Amino acid sequence: MSGGTVDRVVVVGNGIAGLTAADTLREAGFDGELTIVGDEPHPAYSRPALSKALLLDGDDMTSHELPPTGHGAKELLGVRATGLDLDRRLVTLDDGAALPYDRLVLATGSRARRLSDLPEETTLRGLDDALSLRGRLASRPSVVVVGGGPLGMEIASGCLAAGCRVTLVSQGPPLILQLGPYLAGVFVKAALDRGLTIVETEAARFERRAGDARVVLDDGTVLEAELLLSSVGDVPNTEWLADTGLVAKGAAVPVDSRGLVRPDVAAVGDLAAFPTPHGLRRIPLWSSAIEQAKVAARALLHGDDAPPLRFQPYFWTEQFGLSLKAVGHLPPPGEPTYLDGGPGGGSALMRWSYGDGTGVAVALNHRIPIPRLRRMSQAAT
Amino acid sequence: MRIVLDRPRCEGHGLCEEAAPQLMHLDDDGELVLDREEVEGADAALANAAARVCPVAALRVI
Repeated sequence: MSGGTVDRVVVVGNGIAGLTAADTLREAGFDGELTIVGDEPHPAYSRPALSKALLLDGDDMTSHELPPTGHGAKELLGVRATGLDLDRRLVTLDDGAALPYDRLVLATGSRARRLSDLPEETTLRGLDDALSLRGRLASRPSVVVVGGGPLGMEIASGCLAAGCRVTLVSQGPPLILQLGPYLAGVFVKAALDRGLTIVETEAARFERRAGDARVVLDDGTVLEAELLLSSVGDVPNTEWLADTGLVAKGAAVPVDSRGLVRPDVAAVGDLAAFPTPHGLRRIPLWSSAIEQAKVAARALLHGDDAPPLRFQPYFWTEQFGLSLKAVGHLPPPGEPTYLDGGPGGGSALMRWSYGDGTGVAVALNHRIPIPRLRRMSQAAT
Repeated sequence: MRIVLDRPRCEGHGLCEEAAPQLMHLDDDGELVLDREEVEGADAALANAAARVCPVAALRVI
């Protein structure tokens, strides 16, 4: 193995990717000095919960909490990495410290993409964002959400459930890019039935006029509300790697099938683009971060002897009274075959086949073990 | 070590079953069943992996 002995590993990023990398390093036998750097002051938490249960659950403020860690790492929280020297194997931090390493995990994730610098443009990405939003919903403000992806729709659903009047602005029909036309139709119907106002537009911007912030659509329509939210994708946090040559400006970090950038550096989670059947892709989902981190941690210790990533996406969302679990590469085209239930509501199991033995299996308001759903997605038709 | 399930939190994703099929499974109704609760050694590592992958932290290993 290149690079000599492994005495010190630094993990930069304390989300589920960094946490899983640290856990897996220990499981794989690494008993040296392990350090985790996290820019948030909080322990790692479940990000998917922030736009689901945490926005909704009455007095339960714990739905995002994860079990205590067992990796025994030195945790540096509330500290941000500012630079990386690959030759000297040194990570520099914004508190002036420098951390030497033998192996390094890049797991600084991504942040919400914004449409403006206006402070009124509210986004939901981290725990502090979620707690702040939850607090603001208590007074039932009128709400405009810009962005018709899964997160924008979950936020709109949470705001509606809190008793707000909600308008969602979407480029084309909501969810169509992520879930395909069939499922998007199912969710849009549920959203409209619950009272969501949907406005389709080519483009939207935030602006301030006479002291008030507002959303302006491409045809000049002005939308005003007490709470303005945007949910228009995420941007990898890679600026601190600008001088390393590992990543192009604003892009994700490209990695190999074991999550490695080079033999002594791995990149895992939302900032990494890894090989998929559709080319190098970022798949910023919970189980994606976990699977990437497990593979990469072992590869850092064992190189090519470690197994490569074999990842099949798992996605879920809860909104407007619907709970969806999906296995396979989204969005599925056209109409599904129903394996259980049928169109028009209620619990259902659906499948789309891609003709090469793979496909997409979806459970709608239907509890089913993911391994079974995976088998269904791969069944030949 | 012991696996503890917080049943009201469980949403039936079943990612835990994928991580530790020897220790737990979802039944036909989608309810999680712990096939073993007391775990040691390699099984404890599996139990930890199962608890870690749960996005709603319904499992703990104590």
